Amino acid sequence: MTETESWANVNLRQVGRPLARTDAPGKAAGKTRYAGDYTMPNMLHAKVLRSPEASALLRRIDVSKARALPGVACVLTAADLPDRKASTDIPGQTGKKKLATDQQVLVKERVRYHGEPLALVAAETQAIAEQAAELIDFELEPLPGVYDPFKAMRPGAPVVTAPDNVVGEHKVRKGDIEKGFAEADEIIENTFRTQFIEHAFLEPEVGLAWIDENDVINIRVATQVIEHFRPIAEAVGVPHNKVRILGALVGGGFGGKEDVTVEIYLALLAQATGRPVRLAYTREDSMFGHGKRHPFVITHRTGFTKDGRITAVKVTITADSGAYVFLSPYVLLYATVAAPGPYRVDNVHVDAVAAATNNMFTSAFRGFGAAQACVAHEAQMDEAAKALGIDRMELRRRNFIRTGDKLVTGHPIESAVWADECMTKAWEALGERTPDAGPVKTGRGVATYQQSYGRITWLHDTSEAWVGVEVDGSVVVRSGVTDIGAGQVSALGQIAAELLGVGLDDVTIYNSDSAVTPLAGTTTATRGLYMTGNAVRLAAEAIRGRFLARAAREFGVEPGEVDLAESKAFVTDRPDKSMAFKALVALCASEGVHRSELVMFRAPFTGQIDPETGQGRVHPDYAYGAQAVEVAVDTETGEVTVLKSVGAHDVGQAINPDAVAGQIEGGAAMGQGYALSEELCYEEGRLTTPSFSEYLIPTAMDVPRYQSIILESRSGLGPFGAKGIGEPALTPVAPAIANAVADAIGVRVFDLPITPEKIVMALRRAEAAE
Amino acid sequence: MFAEFDLVMPGDLDEALDILAEAGGDGDAGILPLAGGTNLVVDLRARRIRADKLVGLGRIAALRGIERSNGRVTIGAGTTLSDILRDPGMVEAAPSLVDSARVFAGQMVRNTATVAGNVCCGSPAADTVPPLLSLDAEVTLAGKGGTRNVPLADFFLGYQEDERRPAELVTKIAWDAPKPKSANLFYKLARRKGDAITVVGVAVTVAVEAGKCTTARIALGAVAPVVKRAREAEALLEGEALTPELIEAAARQAAEDSSPIDDVRASADYRRHSVHALTRRLLSQAWAQVTEGG
Repeated sequence: MTETESWANVNLRQVGRPLARTDAPGKAAGKTRYAGDYTMPNMLHAKVLRSPEASALLRRIDVSKARALPGVACVLTAADLPDRKASTDIPGQTGKKKLATDQQVLVKERVRYHGEPLALVAAETQAIAEQAAELIDFELEPLPGVYDPFKAMRPGAPVVTAPDNVVGEHKVRKGDIEKGFAEADEIIENTFRTQFIEHAFLEPEVGLAWIDENDVINIRVATQVIEHFRPIAEAVGVPHNKVRILGALVGGGFGGKEDVTVEIYLALLAQATGRPVRLAYTREDSMFGHGKRHPFVITHRTGFTKDGRITAVKVTITADSGAYVFLSPYVLLYATVAAPGPYRVDNVHVDAVAAATNNMFTSAFRGFGAAQACVAHEAQMDEAAKALGIDRMELRRRNFIRTGDKLVTGHPIESAVWADECMTKAWEALGERTPDAGPVKTGRGVATYQQSYGRITWLHDTSEAWVGVEVDGSVVVRSGVTDIGAGQVSALGQIAAELLGVGLDDVTIYNSDSAVTPLAGTTTATRGLYMTGNAVRLAAEAIRGRFLARAAREFGVEPGEVDLAESKAFVTDRPDKSMAFKALVALCASEGVHRSELVMFRAPFTGQIDPETGQGRVHPDYAYGAQAVEVAVDTETGEVTVLKSVGAHDVGQAINPDAVAGQIEGGAAMGQGYALSEELCYEEGRLTTPSFSEYLIPTAMDVPRYQSIILESRSGLGPFGAKGIGEPALTPVAPAIANAVADAIGVRVFDLPITPEKIVMALRRAEAAE
Repeated sequence: MFAEFDLVMPGDLDEALDILAEAGGDGDAGILPLAGGTNLVVDLRARRIRADKLVGLGRIAALRGIERSNGRVTIGAGTTLSDILRDPGMVEAAPSLVDSARVFAGQMVRNTATVAGNVCCGSPAADTVPPLLSLDAEVTLAGKGGTRNVPLADFFLGYQEDERRPAELVTKIAWDAPKPKSANLFYKLARRKGDAITVVGVAVTVAVEAGKCTTARIALGAVAPVVKRAREAEALLEGEALTPELIEAAARQAAEDSSPIDDVRASADYRRHSVHALTRRLLSQAWAQVTEGG
């Protein structure tokens, strides 16, 4: 169920309409070819052998039996590879890149996490590859490991990678924290914990590599980032222009396909064999194949006046980075910026640290640190409301940040802040409260958030797109953007169609080929629409300008009096004065008018923030919204049923409201799993929940009918004032559920996931305390 | 990927039993019967189980069908969970079994998994077993030497151990349809509602005559090496009117009768707590049902 509320008075014809997405028919009919559907003649099948230990020395590895097995083409170990590493730390990520934290492609000596790759096999069939992997004889000598970020920072703790276990640190120093707490009537302090979770995309990692006649290593792969051709080329020792990444429609990303996954293995095996190689992870491989969401421990100490104004916030954040750095420092930075929530706080002190452990490495995951921060700040607001005796929403209203206010980083927010509007609408949409039924108690919760869209401004993010009009009036868009299932590509089509006055069906989009489509950057960080949408808009506008000028000449009017719509060019006040778009294009073509445009869109470029105070600009802009939920909690068994769940988000401008609703509903389901059931458990670094029978994502039986409310402030930096929805849709969901559970049972579970068992134990403790 | 194995699909029961008996009279660990395969195939794929030969039971007509006559309900070993749900008479013939079928795995698994396979898979969390125990079901085993009937309550010998010999097949499961003045309920407690492995399963039967409980059955799943009845708790109830105090005492006794473990799904402490809570709840509901209007 979707409701759209737009308060803007703009005449849009294609944008803003719930058109059938360009990727929908292929998916509905089963015709879409995903990366795993591609095969080639003479293709080999690959398998990755992984370490069963989390912390060990590789004493010996003998692959002679595996190599001797008939049908085995190639077995690679670290001994066969040049001493190159795969970068896991984006240059400039922390401003002090530690080269030592790059990842060995295959274990040379030291195993740092359960599942770290020991060897690669390529064989004629998948069965032979697996059999060969089993024939590899190796000896691991267990080493003391460290599995807790707090312990990892103690003197004498085992060091995961020299020189030490601290992989990221961020600070905010704003205002006068002492003065702020001195002014407080009430100080509230709580500690919140979040867990490791898995992206659980439908499509596990998969790719197919082959080397062409120009010595280019081509890799068709399920990825969010085709620009990884650069680190892949560096890891395998070829120039950047000798690796080509071809995407396909991706079966879900959520940040889990943001880092390199199978690409380097495929490139190495294709190089070694000279034959096409396919590597498809099983679900169990996938559990070891990409970084997880960081577990966080967040302590909030918040000062309030008795009328509920925040006087000071002190937040400490500790994140488990696992065995390699990957995106940990950035995730930590997002959490730091988001730490106080969408509230105006003049006195802020944040100390955030990420530490290496011998757990699975952690990296990007939808919400990217801001989601963990939201779990804490929204629970804290409810706890404060309870302690202060102020209504939960009223307390938020008294503190919401407003346009023009400075964020914790000192940068002023320039776009609309509709947190209150979203919260109010989401809450209202819950309707009548479901009554308690015996031991089953109903509760309600709300959470708001501040989530950036667009990458960190000192990464100097750019996106390119090419738009062209064929002589018959059909439109082509070329852009490297990857579509991870959210309709990224279709939205670009709607934007081009809007500006060129044609239908979405008239637009064909070529995307995600690092060699032939202009590089658009990553499909991450809620940046796809903002960045590439703007690039397409600018390119289409340039062509539109030339077409309008030519049409104006034909009609004998000024260009400003001409419009394009319904595949026609016409004089705005004289619709009888019109010509078919096709005819106009033919005219332009015959006269050599340039019918295409390549554009680079640039996000705001800044320097880095001050490392001591955290002051400066971090992101282009922020999105605001809210989730409201109603739950029923069985106080005897601890079972939670989500009865109602409403996401209300200011997306700036929905390009396709159905696609936006899809994001909101998907975020509601994913956040529900985060709140209630999902957890990757590691015992001494060993994963004990390696399949979907232990790792519990919500099923259709577990979810209510989600409701989406789309608000459009048209104040964002994206095309037509769009902000973004990919990550925001998830961020407030888990804390809203946590708040609803606390509302239902009168006590709070401070650690996610809120399992039935934790609820029973919390109730038991509360009872004992009475 | 699977290790390699042969699949044979015998057309009748005798042929199936011949194949199972191939390697000596007692069968061979490498020859395994294949019913719905929803456990076996997963275990083969994960290489937790090895098999040289699978004996597919899907073509054996004698294993199909649900019969009700003279108050006796008999289901063939090939009866799937979906068959249970599709049979309109089952709601009366085995209310708790229908309850369990509704929350059994997911639709695709229900379409192929069999009740007999669930009984024979050896899992203490098997969802159909508490209901069948609460119905006093009996299992028929067939081998080359003939058939024998074993009460389900005696079928399980220990964790992953049961009465079925490797060369035998379960051919049917039977029980008496519940008496008119009785209630038969099941509840599955799990970490989520769909497609979940049970944390605690409880089935109860309460029959009443003249205001007294004549039969009480309490069967507990996932809280001991095998699904088991809480006989001491049952004994507290029979011959009595079920007051809230008595129900509470029986529920507490049921929790004591259980011997759960800590695992990745839940702690033993929580499981025991839940046995107590669910037994109390189901007995109260059952008593209310049987005494309503009577």
